[in-house]
Amino acid sequence: MRLLVIEDDDTLREMLAKRLTEAGFAVEQAADGKEGLYFAQEYPVDLAIIDLGLPEVSGLDIIRQVRADGKTYPILILTARDRWEDKVDGLSAGADDYVVKPFHFEEISARVNALLRRSGGWASSQLDAGPVSLDMSRQELSVNGAALELTSFEYKIIEYLMVRAGQVISKSELTDRLYDQDFERDSNVIEVFIGRLRKKMDPDNTLKPIETLRGRGYRFALERNQSD
Amino acid sequence: MYSLSSRLLISVSVLLLLFFGITIAVLDTAFTEAGEQARRDILDGQLVALLAAAEPDDSGELALPERLREPRFGQIGSGLYGELRSAAGDVIWRSQSALGLEIPEGTVPELGNHLFARESLPDETPLLTLSLAVEWEIDENTSKPYVFKVAESLDSFNAQVAGFRGQLFGWFAAVAAIMLLAFSFLLRGLMKPLRKIETEIGEIESGDRASLSGQFPTELTGVARNMNLLIDSERARSDRYRFTLDNLAHSLKTPLAGMRALLADRHREEFDQRVNEQIDRMDEIVRYQLRKPAAAVAEKLVLQSVNVDKEIARLVDGLRKVYHDKAPVFDVNVQTGLQFRGDTGDFLELAGNLLDNACKWCKKNIAISVVPSAGQSAIASGMVLSVSDDGPGIPQEAADALLQRGMRLDESTPGHGIGLAIVKDIARSYGGQLSISESKLGGAKITVSIPPLSSSN
Repeated sequence: MRLLVIEDDDTLREMLAKRLTEAGFAVEQAADGKEGLYFAQEYPVDLAIIDLGLPEVSGLDIIRQVRADGKTYPILILTARDRWEDKVDGLSAGADDYVVKPFHFEEISARVNALLRRSGGWASSQLDAGPVSLDMSRQELSVNGAALELTSFEYKIIEYLMVRAGQVISKSELTDRLYDQDFERDSNVIEVFIGRLRKKMDPDNTLKPIETLRGRGYRFALERNQSD
Repeated sequence: MYSLSSRLLISVSVLLLLFFGITIAVLDTAFTEAGEQARRDILDGQLVALLAAAEPDDSGELALPERLREPRFGQIGSGLYGELRSAAGDVIWRSQSALGLEIPEGTVPELGNHLFARESLPDETPLLTLSLAVEWEIDENTSKPYVFKVAESLDSFNAQVAGFRGQLFGWFAAVAAIMLLAFSFLLRGLMKPLRKIETEIGEIESGDRASLSGQFPTELTGVARNMNLLIDSERARSDRYRFTLDNLAHSLKTPLAGMRALLADRHREEFDQRVNEQIDRMDEIVRYQLRKPAAAVAEKLVLQSVNVDKEIARLVDGLRKVYHDKAPVFDVNVQTGLQFRGDTGDFLELAGNLLDNACKWCKKNIAISVVPSAGQSAIASGMVLSVSDDGPGIPQEAADALLQRGMRLDESTPGHGIGLAIVKDIARSYGGQLSISESKLGGAKITVSIPPLSSSN
């Protein structure tokens, strides 16, 4: 998942980017409103964390502009102003949730996961599809109740595919969303990871959780369980 | 910018000038016309006297006697002149008074007609003349046409008019001056209360007085009352700021001291957790202070109107996003067009905190209702805002404690949030109150009643 963090306070922005990267996200950073607006409009982004009090272009203006451009990715606002007036203004402009400064990183992480899951149409942080179960808060994948040992990239791929269960995801989208920009992009690596995931999740090749659509990409093929 | 007194004096002077100007013009015209009419009547009489004195002589020509009844015809330069001319314009007779003068022939009227005219002598002396053309019967068989003419010099009349004008201007100027003087005295009296306000404000600025005395004419009572309100609200605001700052500084000292103590013991396992606790506490203190009411009732002069249904709709839409997973069901009951006289931020703080708490605690259902409450002599209606939920509710003892205890900055209990304390503070600042009861939905029902804003409080 690729996140965009627009925050003018360097310490806060870098800390957020570091912790989010550690949590398995690819993170873009912008230090002012102008750069933030450009990134928010031009980069492939799955979620944006936007501070309201930004230099050059205000956070509210960025949100309005992004929504006016038809972008639907979730937006989490950071605000030092705790009055309901500011929160309501942000939410009315098109944001999906807010976090008031100062905050614990766990709070941001929980909101980000919830928003990402919601954008994929899932109601809880546990994504269940057939015997496969992904716990986003614990970053754990299990099949038939048995937890699987996954590398960080394997987890990132299955999380991205499962959140968008049923949608076709191209290799380039996966590379864009999962790698940091400075990472060397090689789509063969994706194939290797998908192959490994298939082996781990479906050693007998009976479940077929990840479908390959030739020339188009991959799709998580299992039906979501009813309660989700 | 001219003072009020100068403006009034200038306006009144212009009005007086206009009034007296028109009056003088009317009187002057009336006087001149009446004088001229009198002159015409006199000339008419003199002409009749000439006609009566005229007799044909032996040569069959009309003639006038040496001495006439009007002595002025016989006095040289008397200003009254008589003349008889033939139809051809030849002078047959001229009064002795016109000796050495050439009375202009002027326009001759038609036979049997009078003609008044303004003419002048060769030396520019103005004359009022009356001519009459007659056909005179000399004997039974002969009659001849003649023109009788009398003229009077207008020198004395013009001098009379000029004298009258002089007197008129003199009197009116004196009357205007007296009136302006009286008006400026009156104005001084009228402006006295304003000067008193100015002086009292000066005394307030220098700290010699607390508020305006309130003994002013009816027209200024409202101004004085509003100024006192403004002064009170400014004073209350500055007291509030001082109190808040003082309170904030003191309340931050406790967690700071706690952190310093922790530093000395930084190798303990729960160091991070305990520092975080202190930071949370400081954060809560700052948040509480920042969200305190923006408006105080004394500041009602500058309060806006808040469109209640629009703001509630915005809040509910926002909360639906925030509590997307829980998906609470809102039952909104707000009268369309209801206005709340107060600060928008305060209203959102009241409704936002109550709705946010309800979203946190409810199982599924939340009901919100806002109804107006009217009062006698109210200049803006109040409102009763209530939010109910189907959550676990608030036990009576806890509710009592929440309502009775004043929120002290350094004793906020972690986890209880500061929402209700803020709601209580804001309700109080509008002269309202907060009550907690059991809702029909099964959980808590929190009601905020804001009384109507009356012009007297």
